[in-house]
Amino acid sequence: MSTTPTESLNTGLNIQTMAEADDVLGRRKYIGMSVLRTEDPVFLTGRGKYTDDVHLPGMLHAAFLRSPYPHAKILSIDKTRALALDGVHAVYTEADFEPILGHFVTTVHREEVLTVDRPIMDSTVARYVGQPIAVVLADSRYLAEDGVDLIDIQWEPLEPVMDAEKALEPDSTLVREDLGTNNFAHIEFQRGDTEGLFEGAAHVFSKRFHHGRFMAAPLEPRGVIADWDVASDELVVWSSTQIPHLIRTFTAGPLGIAESKMRVIADHVGGGFGMKAHVFDEEALIPASSKLSGKPIKWIEDRYENLAASLHSKEMIIYLEAAVDKDGKFLAFKGHYIGVGGAWPAHPWTSLIDTLPAASLLPSIYDIQAVSTQIDAPLTNRCPSGAYRGVGWTPGHVARETFIDDIAREMEIDPAEIRLMNSIPDEPFVSVTGMKYDGGSYSASLRKTLEMIDYEGLRKKQAELLKEGRYLGIGISPYVEPTAWGSEVAKANGFAAEFFDAANVTVEPDGSITVTTGCHNHGQAHYTTLAQVAADTLGVSFESIRVIENDSSQAVYGTGTYASRTAVVAGGAIMRAGKEVREKIIRLAAHAMEVSPEDVDLADGIASVKGVPDKSMTMAELGFMSYYGGSSRVPGVEPALTSTRSYDPPETYSNGTIIAIVEVDVETGFVDLQHIACCEDCGTMLNPMVVDGQMVGAISHGIGGAMYEDLAYADNGQFLSASLMDYLYPSTTEVPHMEISHIETPSVVTEGGIKGMGESGNIAAGAACINAIADALSSFGKIEINKTPIGPSDVMDLIRGLRGAK
Amino acid sequence: MSTNDQSAAATAEERIVRITVNGTAMSGIAEPRLLLHDFLRHELELTGTHAGCEHGVCGACTIRLNGEVVRSCIMFAVQADGASIETVEGMANNGVLHPIQVAFQEEHGLQCGFCTPGMLMATQTLLEENPDPSEDEIREYLSGNICRCTGYVGIVASVKSAAKKLSVIQSNANGKA
Ligand code: FES
Ligand code: FES
Repeated sequence: MSTTPTESLNTGLNIQTMAEADDVLGRRKYIGMSVLRTEDPVFLTGRGKYTDDVHLPGMLHAAFLRSPYPHAKILSIDKTRALALDGVHAVYTEADFEPILGHFVTTVHREEVLTVDRPIMDSTVARYVGQPIAVVLADSRYLAEDGVDLIDIQWEPLEPVMDAEKALEPDSTLVREDLGTNNFAHIEFQRGDTEGLFEGAAHVFSKRFHHGRFMAAPLEPRGVIADWDVASDELVVWSSTQIPHLIRTFTAGPLGIAESKMRVIADHVGGGFGMKAHVFDEEALIPASSKLSGKPIKWIEDRYENLAASLHSKEMIIYLEAAVDKDGKFLAFKGHYIGVGGAWPAHPWTSLIDTLPAASLLPSIYDIQAVSTQIDAPLTNRCPSGAYRGVGWTPGHVARETFIDDIAREMEIDPAEIRLMNSIPDEPFVSVTGMKYDGGSYSASLRKTLEMIDYEGLRKKQAELLKEGRYLGIGISPYVEPTAWGSEVAKANGFAAEFFDAANVTVEPDGSITVTTGCHNHGQAHYTTLAQVAADTLGVSFESIRVIENDSSQAVYGTGTYASRTAVVAGGAIMRAGKEVREKIIRLAAHAMEVSPEDVDLADGIASVKGVPDKSMTMAELGFMSYYGGSSRVPGVEPALTSTRSYDPPETYSNGTIIAIVEVDVETGFVDLQHIACCEDCGTMLNPMVVDGQMVGAISHGIGGAMYEDLAYADNGQFLSASLMDYLYPSTTEVPHMEISHIETPSVVTEGGIKGMGESGNIAAGAACINAIADALSSFGKIEINKTPIGPSDVMDLIRGLRGAK
Repeated sequence: MSTNDQSAAATAEERIVRITVNGTAMSGIAEPRLLLHDFLRHELELTGTHAGCEHGVCGACTIRLNGEVVRSCIMFAVQADGASIETVEGMANNGVLHPIQVAFQEEHGLQCGFCTPGMLMATQTLLEENPDPSEDEIREYLSGNICRCTGYVGIVASVKSAAKKLSVIQSNANGKA
C-alpha cells in the first residue's frame, strides 16, 4: 500500500456556521499556546485539598459493612456488640434511614427501558459483593471498622446470577424480583437495507467478542464528608466528584432539602475518569447519617471498596456481522451488544452508557450503507456498571477494529489499506446511524500515523525479524470520538436528554476578571485553558483571569465535567459571555474617551482609541469606573461588566489514529509493547501540552484494559480483584514511550471550532494493542482474538491453539 | 483512613511518637496499630502525603525516612519513633519551588496531582543515587509509583529535565568553590 503526503489535508478554513463569537480566533494570543498550568504549584507543594484533607471539629468517621455474598437474604442484623464498643456512636441500617431518606429511581427516558426504584441502603437483600448493608459511626475510622466487625448478621445465601447471556433466558434466577426480568432494556435500531445487502454480499463475516470488565480506578478513591447543620437546616457536602451541582440535584430530593440550602464542594479530586460522574449511594447515605447523628461525618473509601463496590465498566459481549463486497468494501454491519450490568443500574447514567454508545458508533469512520443493532442490558450479581472514559465506545471499538483486522487477514488485504478504502471523506459527514460528523481527518490522520512509524519500512523489518524467529506486530486503530455531550450528541448516542452549561464572566472593581463555570477541574487544567479562552475573548492578559469551578455555591450551575465536554461547552459559554462583556467594556471606554465604540480597540487589557495610541484606558480604570464611576458611566446602561451565558453545542466529533508496535515472546507469552504512535485531531487546540497529556493519559488506560486490568468474578460470584496485587495498573515499565502528532480541523459548528478530546486514547489504544498482538502471531495461522484483557497466559493459549490447528 | 480526633492523653495502649519532619521536631499520639501515613496526615496535619491503596502497591504515600524512600502505609507510626522524615511539604523553600518541582510543572508531569508528592519524593531519591539516569533507569526506578493520569510520558520528561537542572546547579556550585 502507499501513503500519500499530508499536504492535502483539510486546513480548517471552515466557517463556523452556528458560532456567535466567531471573531475570537482572529485575535488569539493565548489559545493554541502551551501555557504552563497555573494549577500546578499547589499540588507540587503538597497543598492540595482533597476530600480526606478536610477536617471538621467534632467529626465522626464512617465505615460500611459490605456484603461478602454476591446474592443473599439478610435474616437479621444485631447491632448490640458494635454499639457497646467504646468510641462507636451509631450503627444505621435501612430501617434507620427510611424515615428521612427517599429512594433512587433510575431509568433512561425511552420506552424500551425499565425503571429501578430502590432504597439507597438495602439492608434486606445483598445483590453484589461489596453492597453497603449498614454504616458505623465512630471516633476514628479504625474504631468504625472495629464496629463493623462486631455487627452480627444472619445471611441466607441465594443463587447468584453471573452469566449475562443465561440471565436473559426466561427461566433465569432474578437479580431483582420486583422487575420480573433481568433485562433492564432491549433496544433495536435499523437503518438501510441491511438484510438485502447481507444477502447480496460476496462475503459475510461474523465474530463474538467478550470485552473485559475494567474501571476508572482513580488514584484517589471516593470520599464524602457531610455537615448537616440541624439549627440552620443547611447542608454542606464535600465529595470527590466530577459533578458537584448534579450531586446536589440528584440527592437533595431524597434527602428532603432545598437545593438552595445545600452546597457541594469538590475542591481537589484525584482523578475521576467518568467514574466520579455518578451519584453514588454513599453521597446520600453520609449526609443522611449526618442528619441522623447531628454530627459532621467523614467517609473515605479504601481501595477494596473502590475495586469491589464503586463502579465497574465496559464489560460487554458483542456479536458482529459484516457484509463485504468482493474487493473488500464494507456494505453493512450488524451488531448485538449485551452489556454485563451489575445489581442495579448506576445512577443516573445506567449501564446503557456503555451499550447505547457502542451501538451508535458501530459505523465509526467507515462508509457503510446499512446498519442494524440490538442491545440487551442484563442485570447480574456484580458491582453496578456505568461510565468510564470512552464509555461503551471502547468495547464497541475494540470489537469492531479487531473484527476488521480478522476480515483483512481473511481477504489478504493490508489492514491499513482496507481501512483507507472504506473510510469516509475528510469532510462533514452523516454516518448511517445519523451521527453528524463535523469535519475531520478520518483518513488523513491514519496516513499521517503510518508515516510516523514508517509503515512500509516497518513491515519489511517485521518480515526480516520473522526469519530470525522474532515476532513483531503492528496494530492499527483509527477512531472518531463523539464529544462535548450537549443535547444533540446525547441524542445521537441514544440518550433523549437535554444538556447545557453556563459560564459567568465578571470584571471586578480592580479590573481583574473572575470566570466561573459549572464544569469541574480534576486534572484537565481548566483554570489554565479556560483562562486562555477568556483572555483572548475579552482581549485582556491571561494573568488577569481567575477561573472558579468545583463548588456549587461559588460557580454558576452546570452539570460538571465528563464526556470530553468542558473545552467545547464551557469554552463556548465563556466565548459568548466574554463577547458581551468585551462589548460592554468597549462601550464604557468609548463613552469615557468620548469616541464611538467602533473606534476603540481592546487588547492586552488596554482600551485604546484606534490611531491615537496615547489615548487609552487600563482595565483597572475601567473596572473602577464601572462600579464607582457615577456619572462617567454610560447613561441608561446597566453598570455591571458581567454576563452569564449558556451553551448547548451541536454534535462535534474529534478523530485520529493510534498505532501500537509489539514484540511477542512466543516461549513465555510476554508482550513487549514497544511504541505507540498517534495522530489526533480535536479541532482548535486550546493548549497543545494539555491535549498531549490527555492523549497519553487515556492511551495508558487503553493499554491497561487490553493487557492488564480485569475485574474478575468466580462463577460463584466471589470477587477476585480485591487489591492492587490482583488488579494491575500499568506502571512506567508497561506504558511505552509515545509519540503524538496533531492535525487541526476546526469544527464547522462549534464556538471557536473547538472539539472535545480526552477519551479517545482509551477508546482506541486497546484495539491497537490487540491488533498488534494478533498481527505478531499471524504467521502461526488463522488467528482471531475474541476477548480482553490478553495476558501472557492468553497469548500462550492462542499460540497453542494455532500450533494444534496446523 | 483517618485517626482519632479526640486525641486525648496517651492511654496505656497509646504511645507518644517523636519524629523530625522536614527538619522540625514534632510529636503526636499513636496507638500501636496507627499507620505512619495516617499519623502524618491526621495527627501532624501534613496532608501532602497521600494514600491510594494502603497496601504498599501504588506509591502515593511515598516519603523519605532517614534518607530512604519508604511507603508510609505499610509502616506503623510507632516504628518511626526517633526517625527523620522528609515529605513533600519540605521540598519548596518558602514558596520557591525546588528544581524538581519546576521540572514537573514545565514538562506536564502531573494532572490531578494525587500521585505527585510520592513521585517527587521518589524522583529526589533517584537523582541523589543516580544524577544522570537513562530513560530505562527512570522507568525502572519509578515503576512502584502509579500515576493514573499522565501515562508517565510527562513524568519521565520531568525527571530528565530535573536531572539537567540539578546538574547545572551542581556544576555552578563546583565552579564557585
Ligand atoms: S498508599 Fe502506600 S503504596 Fe499505596
Ligand atoms: S497526576 Fe493524577 S495520579 Fe498522577
